[in-house]
Amino acid sequence: MIKPKWKFAFTFSIITTIFGFMLGVQYRSIEEPDERDTRDMWELREDLKREQKLQVELLEEIRKYDQMQREMEKNESPEKALKDTLEELKAKAGLTEVKGEGVVLTVEPLFDSNLLGKPIQPISPELLKRLINEVNSYEAKEISINGYRVVNTTVIRDINGITKIDGNSLNTYPIEIKILSNDAEKLYSKINGSALKDDFAIDNLKLTVSAPQKQLIIPPYEKSIRIQNMAPLKDEKEGN
Amino acid sequence: MWLPVIGILLGIILGLYSNIQIPDEYSNYLSIAILAALDTLFGGFRAYLQNSYDELVFVSGFFFNILLAASLAFLGVHLGVDLYLVAMFAFGVRLFQNIAVIRRILIAKWNSGRNTHKKKSNF
Repeated sequence: MIKPKWKFAFTFSIITTIFGFMLGVQYRSIEEPDERDTRDMWELREDLKREQKLQVELLEEIRKYDQMQREMEKNESPEKALKDTLEELKAKAGLTEVKGEGVVLTVEPLFDSNLLGKPIQPISPELLKRLINEVNSYEAKEISINGYRVVNTTVIRDINGITKIDGNSLNTYPIEIKILSNDAEKLYSKINGSALKDDFAIDNLKLTVSAPQKQLIIPPYEKSIRIQNMAPLKDEKEGN
Repeated sequence: MWLPVIGILLGIILGLYSNIQIPDEYSNYLSIAILAALDTLFGGFRAYLQNSYDELVFVSGFFFNILLAASLAFLGVHLGVDLYLVAMFAFGVRLFQNIAVIRRILIAKWNSGRNTHKKKSNF
């Protein structure tokens, strides 16, 4: 037989444990975050702008999908809508030929090997990647290097001393880089105004930018895109 | 009588290390629930000191008060009236009363203890 006093203490302890648990959770919930927000006004403004831009983009996307859905519902044959979507996605992934305005960059050796007295090095993958990142930040739409389309999964790396793009060698000069943009004029002046030419000159390479051209053709990506870590969404509702 | 204190410490440690975080908008409910729980705890202790402690009343009161307080706050949010103030007020007043009673009882016990001690030493 348990004594009443011990019974009381036991019940009371269980209740106080629950109470303490509530206290602990509450304390954890209201405590200040560990990292202090030290952004100043300009940084906050920039962040706000970035978020607003993101919001606009998301809204545009929502509108696009809404429209797509409406078209799908309106269309008698869902087959056509699916085909359209497929074409659109293919174009987005870089599997179709693209025409448009843009500029052509040519990479050549800055000085002849006879003049330098040593062989000319092939273009380094880092430099090429830097160029691609840079022109992407200038709102380039499509890029091809020596006729090889640059897509999201394109690999540029050094294999046994030779720079390769998706397995194709880039060891002969000149290298021709075609870039499409909605505003070729702007792209042209941005590339000209950037430090890209200086970066190329450091590697003994000359970067020439052609005048904006109205009709540039960029070939499709020739290999198949391998996707390893993706699976279709199970829930169909979330797919829309 | 150290068991409840150990219990409360154990609870706090569990709470701190449990990685549970209540979202900001619900932390109001939890704080009012904590107030209700505190009131019930002191009420139970008072009842124990007054020898009118009933386990069922105490345990049911603990959970019922918490639920009542949280639902009052919830109702208040939806009605646009700060109903959680009602719970705050009720529990706050009762808390003070309970603590006052506990204090008196303890003082009375202490005094009577001292008196009997004096009487004993007089003999």
